[in-house]
Amino acid sequence: MKQMKDKRYAPELSPQDVQSIRETVGSASLKLMSESIDKMKAMPNRAQGMAYFDEAANLFSKRQDEIQAHKDAGGRVIGTFCTFVPVELIYAAGAIPVRLDSGIYHTVDIGEEILPNEVCPVVKSSLGTKIVQSSPYFELCDATISPSTCDAKTKLGEILEDYLPVWMIDLPRGRDTAQSKGFWVAEVFELKKRIEKFCGQKISRKSLKSAIELVSQAQKAFCRLHDARKASMPVIMGRDAMLAIQALFNDDIERWTRKTEELCNELDEHIAMKRKGYDAEMPRMMLAGSPIIWPNWKVPNIVEEAGAIIVCDELCSGVRGLYDPVRVDEWTMDDMLTAVAERYLLPSTCPCFTPNDNRANRLLQMVEDFKVQGVIYHILRGCHTYSIEFMRIKRVLERSNIPIHRIETDYSQEDTGQIKTRIQAFLEMVKESII
Amino acid sequence: MLTGADSAESAEKVMDETLSKAGLLLGSIEYIVSTGYGRLLVPFANRNITEISCHAKGINSLFSLARTILDMGGQDCKAIRCDEGGKVTNFAMNDKCAAGAGRSMEVMARLLEVPLEDMGERSLQTVERPSTISTTCVVFAKSEVISLLHSGVHKNDIIAGLCDALSHRVLALLKRVGVEKEFAIAGGIAKNIGVVQRLEEKLGLRAHIAFEPQIVGALGAALFAKELLEKSIKCGVDN
Repeated sequence: MKQMKDKRYAPELSPQDVQSIRETVGSASLKLMSESIDKMKAMPNRAQGMAYFDEAANLFSKRQDEIQAHKDAGGRVIGTFCTFVPVELIYAAGAIPVRLDSGIYHTVDIGEEILPNEVCPVVKSSLGTKIVQSSPYFELCDATISPSTCDAKTKLGEILEDYLPVWMIDLPRGRDTAQSKGFWVAEVFELKKRIEKFCGQKISRKSLKSAIELVSQAQKAFCRLHDARKASMPVIMGRDAMLAIQALFNDDIERWTRKTEELCNELDEHIAMKRKGYDAEMPRMMLAGSPIIWPNWKVPNIVEEAGAIIVCDELCSGVRGLYDPVRVDEWTMDDMLTAVAERYLLPSTCPCFTPNDNRANRLLQMVEDFKVQGVIYHILRGCHTYSIEFMRIKRVLERSNIPIHRIETDYSQEDTGQIKTRIQAFLEMVKESII
Repeated sequence: MLTGADSAESAEKVMDETLSKAGLLLGSIEYIVSTGYGRLLVPFANRNITEISCHAKGINSLFSLARTILDMGGQDCKAIRCDEGGKVTNFAMNDKCAAGAGRSMEVMARLLEVPLEDMGERSLQTVERPSTISTTCVVFAKSEVISLLHSGVHKNDIIAGLCDALSHRVLALLKRVGVEKEFAIAGGIAKNIGVVQRLEEKLGLRAHIAFEPQIVGALGAALFAKELLEKSIKCGVDN
């Protein structure tokens, strides 16, 4: 442990302070999670398969004991941010990845002690969580990988070095040129070496191949869940699907895949038997923009409580993380690594890239596939890249007569009433008639 | 009547007062639509509809040609576009800050010790020239106004500056949805001639102003209630 004088950013807090804040944050977060779970449970005809994910999404659940046992047996745990960390490499080295982007409200203030006001709440909350050690998963991490996406995330990695080993992976700003691709592939090759050294385990051709397959099984299960949301008679609320997807942030990937398959079997049965699921009259909404991370269910709760259904999203906390598969031509080490690297870079529509022309096309395609009637564009205050691209996305959608409404907010509750009004008015507008 | 801390209680009070003035009983009202911030908390409402839809409906019944509506109340400010039937086709609303809302005028009126209803008129009677109020935040603008007062600037010039700044911000909101020629203003701000005139100048348009601009939303809600009642009678649904 470094001495305090070596710390570049970390605030000086006594262990007693940390403990007392951690306790307050912990109980507030538990309350926040259970309030949202109760709301979701209250929806009629909820799939029974959701019960597993209600528990798995609990940020203080028993899963931490499993990870601890893995560590006790000499295994490593590696944290990730954003959707650019090739988790296949982590699995291939016998380590466990956990995603550390935070949706906890009560650590924003703590992050704010170090970060300027204009920084987004995801970064403030993630840092705050580390400062007061309030996330068991973060505490279990031996190191974390921090991709240089937006400015705030880039500097977050630097700040976190006060607490644990952080490996930056440098993302090119461009994405579509041969140089960018070459640069990124080289980063991933380097990362492989670092992970091997840190875990004390070589990544073999065999272990990488099985890791790619492991992740691809999870992606297949995810795609089934994604497709089930296309049904014209909805069978799963958007919040349920989002919760299930985000449970993978911490969950055991094999079990998650199995449980997601089970959930999909149940949903497919509902679709096949034309069992009355939810009201087919609910306006079909898409969420776009800044990440919405459990338990920050503020906007999804408001949207679905106002009588709409979220049928899809383009969020990096949701669909974007799992949609695109790794495409391997030859199962050689170099080919596999290149294919893994490409899967994270090329299909990404993260607005930290420029140009980012594919994003609007992807949104339009999703609007068509999911019969979306309106798009809610969520901007977290301080999230400049999504905020900037709003204008462009709005133009494209409006040209196709798709209504879009922009909501700019953060992790505080003071604007809940105003957002309710705006969302309800947007739904009244999207519906053919209010009467 | 101001909403106050308890929406349900103020709704009951308004209803009692209105019923006694009209000589009616609550039971004789067949359908009630609530609107506005407290719409979800009105105990006797059959249905709630947002003030955005209700304003479009209300303005449409008063000025059938109007296609762009500005509604500025105490809490917030909305720019609304609607079609010939009064249905909302687009809208924009200020984000969670009071700077672009009527509340800022109230705060400043109190600070300057000028009655709220005189603010508009006095803003048109500048003594030297309108002050420039550069701060957006109401809290900071208050200190800006105080320092102007201290340096001896005439109140009217300060008020002119405030009305300028407010109409400028409203204009930006209106531009987000686009302004059509037939333009109407509702909400408390319609009573502030200083803001209205400046806005008209900036837009190069004459605005339609409702006779009672603060109850346009209620009018819209009543019209929705009428249609909902007619529909329920037609469909044989018992209310």
